[in-house]
Amino acid sequence: MFVYEKKLQYPVKIKNTNPALAKFIISQYGGPDGELGASMRYLSQRFSMPYPELKAILTDIGTEELGHLEMVGAIIHQLTRNMTQEEIIRAGFDTYFVDHTAGVYPQFASGTPWTAATIAVKGDVITDLTEDMGAEQKARTTYDNILRLSDDPDVNNVIRFLREREVVHFQRFGEALRLATEKMDQRNIYAVNPAFDR
Amino acid sequence: MLHLHLQRGWNHLNENTAACGAKCGFLPNCAPLAAAFVPKQQSANPQYEAKEALARGTLFPGLDLPFMNMVNTPEKLSTPLAELMAIDFVCKEMLLYLDTHADDKEAFELYKKILKLADEAHKRYTARYGPVVPKDMVDVQSFTWIKDPWPWDYTERSMR
Repeated sequence: MFVYEKKLQYPVKIKNTNPALAKFIISQYGGPDGELGASMRYLSQRFSMPYPELKAILTDIGTEELGHLEMVGAIIHQLTRNMTQEEIIRAGFDTYFVDHTAGVYPQFASGTPWTAATIAVKGDVITDLTEDMGAEQKARTTYDNILRLSDDPDVNNVIRFLREREVVHFQRFGEALRLATEKMDQRNIYAVNPAFDR
Repeated sequence: MLHLHLQRGWNHLNENTAACGAKCGFLPNCAPLAAAFVPKQQSANPQYEAKEALARGTLFPGLDLPFMNMVNTPEKLSTPLAELMAIDFVCKEMLLYLDTHADDKEAFELYKKILKLADEAHKRYTARYGPVVPKDMVDVQSFTWIKDPWPWDYTERSMR
């Protein structure tokens, strides 16, 4: 069950309209390593997890990612509200605009719609947690790249916050993997998959 | 000769461990092969103060690893809403820490104190600025849930 909190996790206050930035930041909304995929990945993986620590960390990080999805959506909204036809053309935002106007649609920077093909739910404890550690690093790299491309301090302030969260989540998934392997057969942690072989 | 070399290596490592403080974990003597290994965060201390934590994106200095050393500063986080965000953020960081450190009694005691502060901050904020969750409307005169601004609405005039 989820209850909506009518506030963001971190303030998003962008003064200047800038559809050129929205064109690539949208990838963290619905792109291959974006926040929608992150929340779906963790909130789906948790169902087959055998240990309480893993159910907890996937639930709590997955929930936080939904909050990050909202923050990235707020960035896209604030970068594209009040844009003029001329700004749309100049920024090359026309290909997005023709399909979505100033709406926020989950897609890659390249225009491909969000797809569950970018996430994995393997149903194996070690595999899923290792995927999650990789996913956090991929999101961190994407935020690094956004920081290279964006010169708006209001945007970069939020991106730096989101980027640091990936580092913290990587640490927690690493600790979760270690807690999980400590519960497994110490002579061979791959002997069985505790998410299936009960 | 080899033995001496190893000995020197370990001493060097120990010195580094003592010097690097919160940024360090402790590697075990024999880690299992063929699995990713992330050192366990040894303690929920030291911590940043709440607004500093929100600005940096983590409560824990040891996990604060910024890109190109560019960091946010907390000056802009002085609005009543940002103050609520800060205390809620500390709660969230402690929750994630405790998920993988459920036996850390000291951290749990600290978590309970922070939850109490967050609860008080939440009550103060909602009494003045309206509901954050629907159940905050338990004592209000009219249905204020739908009132603007919503979280993604930002105008420079907004005081919150």
